[in-house]
Amino acid sequence: MSVGASELLVEGEATLDAVELAPGEITARSPGQLFWRRFRADRVAMVSAGFIVLLILIAIFAPLIVKLLGLPGPAVQNTNLTDAFGTPLGPSAAHPFGVDPLGEDVLSRVIYGTRVSLEVGIIGTFMATVVGVVLGLIAGFYRGGPDTIISRFADIVLSFPILLLGIGIAAACAVNGCLGGLIQPGVPTILAIIVISGWTYIFRITRGQVLSLREKEFVEAARSLGASNKRIMFKEILPNLVAPIIVYASLLIPTNILFEAALSFLGVGVKPPTASWGQMIADATPTFDTVWWYMLFPGIALLLTVLAFNLVGDGLQDALNPKADR
Amino acid sequence: MKVTIRGLVLAGLLCGLAFALAACGGSSSSNSGSSGASSSGSSGLKPALDGSGQNLTNGKKGGTLTVYDHEDFSHLDPGQSYFSLDYEVIYATQRPLYQFSPDSSTKEVPDFASGPPTVTDGGKTVTVHVRSGVKFSPPVNRAATSKDVAYAIERGANPNVSNPYFPAYFKYIQGADKATGGPISGISTPDNNTIVFHLTGPYGTFFVGALSLPLTAPVPKEFAAPLDAKKPTAYGASSLAETGPYMVKSDSKGKFIGIGYQPGKSATLVRNPNWDPKTDFRPAYLDQININIGGDPNVIGRQVLTGSHVLQNDTPAGPIVKLAYQKYYNQLVAVPGAGDHYVALNNHTGPFSNVNVRKALWAALDREAMIKADGGQVVAQVATHFIYPTSAGYSQSGGDHGPNVDYNNYPAGNATVAAKYMKLAGYSTGKYTGSATVKVVGSTGDPADKTAAILNHAVQSLGFKTNFTLVDQSVMYTKYCGDPKQEIDACPNVGWIRDWADPQTLLDPTFAGYNIVPTDNSNWGQVGYPDWPKAAGGPYTGGPLTPIDQEMKAAEKTVGDTARAAAWAKVDNMLVSQAVAVPWVFDKQANIEAKDVRGINDLWNIGSWDYDFTSLK
Repeated sequence: MSVGASELLVEGEATLDAVELAPGEITARSPGQLFWRRFRADRVAMVSAGFIVLLILIAIFAPLIVKLLGLPGPAVQNTNLTDAFGTPLGPSAAHPFGVDPLGEDVLSRVIYGTRVSLEVGIIGTFMATVVGVVLGLIAGFYRGGPDTIISRFADIVLSFPILLLGIGIAAACAVNGCLGGLIQPGVPTILAIIVISGWTYIFRITRGQVLSLREKEFVEAARSLGASNKRIMFKEILPNLVAPIIVYASLLIPTNILFEAALSFLGVGVKPPTASWGQMIADATPTFDTVWWYMLFPGIALLLTVLAFNLVGDGLQDALNPKADR
Repeated sequence: MKVTIRGLVLAGLLCGLAFALAACGGSSSSNSGSSGASSSGSSGLKPALDGSGQNLTNGKKGGTLTVYDHEDFSHLDPGQSYFSLDYEVIYATQRPLYQFSPDSSTKEVPDFASGPPTVTDGGKTVTVHVRSGVKFSPPVNRAATSKDVAYAIERGANPNVSNPYFPAYFKYIQGADKATGGPISGISTPDNNTIVFHLTGPYGTFFVGALSLPLTAPVPKEFAAPLDAKKPTAYGASSLAETGPYMVKSDSKGKFIGIGYQPGKSATLVRNPNWDPKTDFRPAYLDQININIGGDPNVIGRQVLTGSHVLQNDTPAGPIVKLAYQKYYNQLVAVPGAGDHYVALNNHTGPFSNVNVRKALWAALDREAMIKADGGQVVAQVATHFIYPTSAGYSQSGGDHGPNVDYNNYPAGNATVAAKYMKLAGYSTGKYTGSATVKVVGSTGDPADKTAAILNHAVQSLGFKTNFTLVDQSVMYTKYCGDPKQEIDACPNVGWIRDWADPQTLLDPTFAGYNIVPTDNSNWGQVGYPDWPKAAGGPYTGGPLTPIDQEMKAAEKTVGDTARAAAWAKVDNMLVSQAVAVPWVFDKQANIEAKDVRGINDLWNIGSWDYDFTSLK
């Protein structure tokens, strides 16, 4: 069993659903229901979540959306859309966000850039979280030798300057890949860097929680019933960690999106012609005073996306852990 | 030399044949353009000024010129310098045996030499007489002699000096191949005014071109030898002795570091008190030249265009070129003949070892789009072969239009012609159907990344999957394109600048199979060495030459300027017929000055401003 599988509605929140309840009636609700009630009440988080859903839809249906808008594909070069000096033309009816120096449509590239950002943000975070949680469970549950080894390793990873490490790995894997082709250049390399550097945060939180949970009575109870270590870790302890993991993972997503943008900005991230917001911003830097649209639109897209993930993360934290101080 | 760019810029490196040192790198971009009616066919812009018809006389004497360069110098030692920015200081402060008149890329003028060289013995002996009355600057203060020229050349082989083009051009002197800084048997100085070069073969016509390089400027042994004993030499790094109209400002012992040159910050050229104008053809109007180093090219450019008595001597930023052309037309000079760039294709391994696939790519490539991305026709002209404008042999090898072959006839690319050659290569649909992934390595930085992206697109249009990577330009040269073992299939941003107008300096280092080396290779496409890399680990050691290599060996020995131009034009045509690489730009170099400067461009040195002829209005 897990702690808090059900919880009485606390007094202060009873008013929320007062209309649905008969006066004086006491209702039991699952943690999921409680979470959803609290989260739903947070309008900022709800709007942000809506925006993220929209982004996900845009990422999935990018080719369809570009086609519906009548735009050229993201890698369609057309230097007829640049002037005699190669300066791209600005926003127009045919190209609402203007074009870049290769004559590629900026709106089309911003739409496709969503794919890279979400791919890196969500998949990278998921992978880092899985690694962090598993190692955190092992270290916290077994303590002793495994804990020492994994924790010291995490300390070492945490002491690396991650951006420099990222640049180094990305540069080293640039042309031929790394580890005998296991890590391919481009998005896979970025994902690898995110996993290498990102698991430690989740690991530390998980380990700390497990150290405390493993002493609780329900663990003892499970053990006395003959449950295996694996079962205790994954069936008994893990469900109690869902809330903090979700919160930290949700805050890791925007960090990873920015990390991808930074690597691409520095020229070691996603490879052209794949559209990436960070790369577009980098590309626009030398001419931002004249070709403003090339930096502005991917910049806004990046800003809104990161902001939305951060706000949702905030909302999740409030909803999952209402007693935490704000 | 290879071409380098930094940031937006083509740093005009004058590089020579560098089998030895990949000292110059080529990358793209530069601002180059063709004067006037280029074959690029883009919109009919009025051509920018191209530096022709310069008036070298009647400048106003006196005054101080301020120069803004966002790049620093590489070397101020005439024995090490191999960079266009350095050259402007070297040729103002030193007197090589010959140099070029600013208004010509081919007219050699005797400088320390007193007259033209004499080539005898069927091209195997070259004799040069030098002037009397040329004195070294303080603290040396004595007359320079032919023995100082001999020492200057000999020290080029000293590992502490390691002149980058010595192995390419001075190898023709007998005994030079074994030289390490001591006397070379093939150089003799019968008297103080004569120097004789005994060559290993009939290379005299070509060799005299090398006598205009900075290595032939006299160096006083008693002053330089102790400095040359250090590794690397301190001559030119801390102290110098000059013979030219100007000297780097220095103390009484000849030390200039921290006085007339602060690395990364500034340099100051003042008049050389020991220079006698009667011995020189240069007017040297200016009293002083203050060079500011560093800064943002976008800021520097605006300061120059709106400033007074100021100019920029490295490459202006792209937006500045546009601004100058539109608002300060008379302050912009875009000089043709500033190098070329081409897509190096791996002729040895991978899909481009098939000549028809190379031709297909040539046909598919939108060179006009690349020109536009490179800054447009003011600074770039569509390349159609390998000998570029203002070089000997340019018109014989096809001129602006280039050889009349179908894959070269469509500067904007032609998918039908491309499909035709893919079919000839054995792909019946006109598209590649195999499983190979083409490795494309380009250079980061605007506009090289754009031009590389256009090439990548063209490769994909043939049906290939690509692994497209952009890396720092020096990494591109040293780690990837210049390393045959990496087996990079296509390098779209490599380029070359000749050392002088003889086309051998363009084609031999870049396309001769016998020049392939394991590291810092400048024959990026491994053209013409069928056994490579079977013999990996060493340079060409003999064996059968390809037809192109045989033609190059014959052209190398050809005597007489006209005959040499024809011989190398034939080599160029063979390179095109085999589509060994895809040329895409003949570079023009943009140069900007303030409105009250009467700048003179060195047309032989990518149009950089010449301090000896420039004056103030």
